[in-house]
Amino acid sequence: MLSRSAHRTPHSALPVSRRQALKTASAGFGMVALAGILGEQARAAERAAVAAKPLAPKAPHFPAKAKKLIFVHMNGAMSQHDTFEYKPQLQKDDGKPGPGGGTLTGSKFKFKQYGETGSWFSELLPNVAKHADKMAWLRGLHTDTPAHPQAVVQLHTGSANAALTRPSMGAWLLYGLGTENQDLPGYVTINPPPNFGGAVNYGSAFLPAHFQGTRINDVGYLPNLKAQTESDLQRRQLDLIQGMNRDLAAAPGAPDAVDGVIESFELAFKMQGKVPELLDVSKEPTKVLDAYGANEKRTAAFARQCIMARRLNEAGVRFVEICQPGWDHHNNLHKGLIDRTGSIDLPTGALLADLEQRGLLDDTLVLFGSEFGRQPTSQGADGRDHNITGYSMFLAGAGVKAGATFGATDEYGIRAVEGRMHTNDLHATLLALMGLDHEKLTYRYAGRDFRLTDVKGNVAKEVIQ
Amino acid sequence: MPHRSRPAAVAALLALLSGAAAAADAPTAKPDPHANPTDPAKVEFFEKKVRPVLVNHCYHCHSADTKPAGGLRVDDRNGLILGGNTGPAVVPGKPEKSLLITRTTPENKKRRMPLEGEHLSQEQTEILTKWIADGAAWPALRVPASLGRVRPEYERLKKEHWSFQPLKSPAVPAVSDAGWPRSDVDRFLLAQLEAKGLKPVGDADRVTLIRRVTFDLTGLPPLPAEVDAFVKDASPNAFEKVVDRLLASPAFGERWGRHWLDVARYGESTGPSRNIPYPHAWKYRDYVIDAVNADVPFDRFIREQVAGDLIAAEEAAKQVKTGGVRTDTGWDFFAPFRFPEEFYREQDRLLTATGFLALGVKDVNQRFKIRFVMDNVDEQIDTVTRSVIGLTVSCARCHDHKFDPVTQADYYSLAGIFTSTENASGLRNQMGGGGLAYYVPSNLVRLTSYVPPVETAEIAKLKAEAEEAKAAWDAIRGTPAGLKTQPNGRPLQFQYRRKYDTAQAKVLALTDPAARGFAVHGVRDAAAVADTEVRIRGEAEKLGPTVPRGYIKAFEVPGAPAVNREQSGRRELAEWLASAKNPLTPRVAVNRAWQNLFGTGIVNTVDNFGVNGGPASHPELLDHLANRFIADGWSVKKLVRQLVLTRAYQLSSDATVANTNVDPGNRLVWRHSPRRLTAEEIRDATLAAAGTLDPKRPHGSPARELPMIEMRDNGPEAQAINEKADASTHRSVYLPLLRGVAPHALEAFDPVDQTLVTGTRDTTTVPGQALYLLNGAFVRKQSLALADRLLKDKAATDPERIRKAYRFALGRDPAPKELERAQAFLGEFESAARPLYPEHLAPAPRLAKRVAKPKDEEEPFDPDQIDQTGEAVAEEVILPPDARTAAWAAFTQALFGSAEFRFVR
Repeated sequence: MLSRSAHRTPHSALPVSRRQALKTASAGFGMVALAGILGEQARAAERAAVAAKPLAPKAPHFPAKAKKLIFVHMNGAMSQHDTFEYKPQLQKDDGKPGPGGGTLTGSKFKFKQYGETGSWFSELLPNVAKHADKMAWLRGLHTDTPAHPQAVVQLHTGSANAALTRPSMGAWLLYGLGTENQDLPGYVTINPPPNFGGAVNYGSAFLPAHFQGTRINDVGYLPNLKAQTESDLQRRQLDLIQGMNRDLAAAPGAPDAVDGVIESFELAFKMQGKVPELLDVSKEPTKVLDAYGANEKRTAAFARQCIMARRLNEAGVRFVEICQPGWDHHNNLHKGLIDRTGSIDLPTGALLADLEQRGLLDDTLVLFGSEFGRQPTSQGADGRDHNITGYSMFLAGAGVKAGATFGATDEYGIRAVEGRMHTNDLHATLLALMGLDHEKLTYRYAGRDFRLTDVKGNVAKEVIQ
Repeated sequence: MPHRSRPAAVAALLALLSGAAAAADAPTAKPDPHANPTDPAKVEFFEKKVRPVLVNHCYHCHSADTKPAGGLRVDDRNGLILGGNTGPAVVPGKPEKSLLITRTTPENKKRRMPLEGEHLSQEQTEILTKWIADGAAWPALRVPASLGRVRPEYERLKKEHWSFQPLKSPAVPAVSDAGWPRSDVDRFLLAQLEAKGLKPVGDADRVTLIRRVTFDLTGLPPLPAEVDAFVKDASPNAFEKVVDRLLASPAFGERWGRHWLDVARYGESTGPSRNIPYPHAWKYRDYVIDAVNADVPFDRFIREQVAGDLIAAEEAAKQVKTGGVRTDTGWDFFAPFRFPEEFYREQDRLLTATGFLALGVKDVNQRFKIRFVMDNVDEQIDTVTRSVIGLTVSCARCHDHKFDPVTQADYYSLAGIFTSTENASGLRNQMGGGGLAYYVPSNLVRLTSYVPPVETAEIAKLKAEAEEAKAAWDAIRGTPAGLKTQPNGRPLQFQYRRKYDTAQAKVLALTDPAARGFAVHGVRDAAAVADTEVRIRGEAEKLGPTVPRGYIKAFEVPGAPAVNREQSGRRELAEWLASAKNPLTPRVAVNRAWQNLFGTGIVNTVDNFGVNGGPASHPELLDHLANRFIADGWSVKKLVRQLVLTRAYQLSSDATVANTNVDPGNRLVWRHSPRRLTAEEIRDATLAAAGTLDPKRPHGSPARELPMIEMRDNGPEAQAINEKADASTHRSVYLPLLRGVAPHALEAFDPVDQTLVTGTRDTTTVPGQALYLLNGAFVRKQSLALADRLLKDKAATDPERIRKAYRFALGRDPAPKELERAQAFLGEFESAARPLYPEHLAPAPRLAKRVAKPKDEEEPFDPDQIDQTGEAVAEEVILPPDARTAAWAAFTQALFGSAEFRFVR
């Protein structure tokens, strides 16, 4: 009842403070009989008590397999045909006309099988491939729009309709689950694409702003985080502010939100110390830095993102997304892929190894992939065009049935023919792994209950332990 | 010069007037030559012979699942008939006019389709030719049975739901405490309080009251002198005088105009997914502010925004008819008409008003034109219905409304009005592409004050160069030579395209009426006006039966005119919306004003008066106010005046336990609810206190300099806009508001989400706000400015300065305890800070520059391949020059950071 009736609270149906809410709850029981508008208010008080700590951990709908999520986002659509989607028939029919037009073009890269599961990877991803046995593959994915802007927005929010911006999946997770570490943001996105919807991809849309993602760039910059004054001087200043705030809180007609203001200053002061420390990857031992490739030119940038992701995850951040753009190989596919995979393969492999070694994979789910895939046919002399009708992503870690493969495309990898999974199904599955029923995670806005999965979504139980 | 020659304007005007006549020729009733043959044999021929050809040879580049190369899709009959950039692919019955034939046959040597893969055989061409000659049959869509079904619960809701019923004229209730009320509004409120056994708290003190009313009416704090004058004014109408002064100040329009801009989801760019600036949007912003200040009657205000262009045409016609046209030279039938200056100003004002319909979020990268059109129509329907009548009509786009009595057919009768309207935002949809690909200058609304450019030799030269570049691009595009890959991995034709873009941009910079300030984003009636089809499940391509244009039928508007079939119907829609007999428009309007003054609406879901909306706390009062609003000529100023002069508005914010237990949300108005200031008010109040606020309206917006080219979040364009916003000291309503690029000084405090109608803002409390107040460059800069302002007066004592600071920032004097605390803080801070300033050198505030990583010059810009990895970020560092100033700046910053600063009570 709480969340379902959580109307976009008008700004000064003022959140009643916890103090007041408790008072109301104890003294006001006999008043429940009050009809109409006053009847609503008991619920409002309850809501307010929750609103005072909107990010406090909340119980999932059912026991969660995974508590945290890391999304490794290959923005621009990595070619599956040259990396992890092995199609013998495509290699065989290289140069023949494709069934829907174009010329079938096999990969120029060598594939081999890895691990006990015998998953196929090309020579471009040797380090990611080492973790073959941890993965569950979703190989029947499809989405609605063959263009990056809409597909990226849909991957993050469930809907490509620009006119009605929806909350991002990270915002839904925070809304549903809160976060473990109250001293840190619960949802961090590192180096997100500046186009393709930009802030929409980590925004909260009509959910309150507490739930939006915190964007940091790939060198760990967060606006306003750096104290501009010596710490002890700033503490003096803060004490003055808090003194004034406490005076106000004690006044008879004080706004209830003053308690929250006081708390927000203490938290901010703590964050100033903690967050930069957390994002300073140079503090990692040399062995770790080398494992990620943090000191190698071609891998350094993505290694930094991977290490920050692990450190944030370890500190209890509910959802971290990291992003490597530049996979849109309409041309220059061969050289471009060598280049790009060269920058992400080692760090991604190291991230999975590091998470496992530290036991973090026991409660962390990892999702890897792009907004869609690419065609098995060629475009121009050395390129591949977008493919939204069949592509793959993998899951690894908590709750995932390691070694499972769900879904498949046709013999050339054009269209998903088995285990078809729309973006809404992907989201339903992710939420299920996190202990949330995608049909129950709703928020009322503009007169209707919204969901991450809109009115659709099926959970792929086949990949869940 | 009072009158000026306006030949172009007259031409534009005549075109406007004749537009209606041309529209009458639109083929609304004639048999459709494109009708889909239903003959089963023809459909079977299509399925067996034609579709396989399309699938195997064309889908790869021309279908919904791949792309509409050249704007064309062949997996949909309407897509073929609508065609791509070069014209209709199929003209039913006329194969010789169908590009599907002429572009695929051997005669088309240079760019014979398909460009990749096998060409069509002679036999396949014959199949397509026969199919088109026979009318291009396509399997018919199945129309769901639910469509057009009568829903008995709708009839019940129409009769029963309170907001659909006509306004009542409720009697003013009697109250026991007859001495308390100052007005009928007070009587309505008190009656309900008394019924619940509650007593209102006491009146607010004058210092609190003037701060409250000044923020509420102008979004600014009162000046210390204004506070003093009010506190000292013993006359019985002291408060009225304050209110009238505020209502008359231009700041009133800036605050209440901003309320409407929230509702109108105002923004200066298209937003996701390719963010293209709207460089003329600020004219609509200024229109709104001016309209509020001029107290344009609210019904008129709505009419102007929905049909300003059509009203302008009517007024122009009237002007001509009444012989109001004058010339400088007396009657001269050959001289160009000259109109009085005000005439053009008013025409332009009305055209600008229609920006309301044009400035929504647009997905210009939507690959399919028909989806682009229907998405924009939906956006307009959502905006108009939620803002004016508080109903979520766009829920009925895909199916009958789940809660409110709005059928899908109703939705499409309204949609027909908007499909008959050209969305003249200056943009078209386009697949991929950067540069000016999305910009269509001729699509903008040209202002009547337009003066054509003088054709200089320079312009002629640039035009010739652009022509040349275009010819070169046309010659090479799509040819094997053009598609050949260069060493940098790009096809050769790419650089031809870039050259053409650059040349074109140079011409436009000198000739484009828009670039020269004579254009706005708005709407006009489309060349062809027609009813539109219901779209099955809301899918733009899936055409159901056509429905006549009209309004939703959830409620009656007696006397509203029917749609003029010769025009789009917006003119009549405007009347329907703004009618005094519309049960929703006046209720929704007064409820918004109530919320803006009392914190919560009488209906707390201000944008939703439908079945799922909140119940009215005082239904009779709402109708009383709505009736009064109409009787007062829809004057917003009179409404606001009436509300703030109530006793209820002037209550203190003190909470009593007894009242809190019964009504914790204060819905019955037993006290005044405190509210947090909006992001704009917090910034404006900071500038005002620091003495740095520039109250004048700036000309335009930094966004006006931007070309209509995609802008990336955090990219160089956004960065430049942010820098201008950071440096601005104008009121916040004038900051550039590109979607997704919130000014730094606003983003922490829940600025409005610019994508949707937002009648109620969020007020979250998050640590990001505290970080901004502690470390943000804007706050630190203004704190330093206030410190300088205090220290400038060398003769003043520190306690005097502290008192001044309190009055500037909080509008009151400090209590003795506070004065003491501040003094102690200043002393301690200064001595602690002194070691940081050993040499008494004044470090200048410095701006760290953003460092862009070195880019490969050879690599052309590709909007789909942006990588910001490794880019440093600029951060402005503000450093006080010495320990004493540092201490004062820390103190003033603490005032800005205090909770008291951001709340009004």
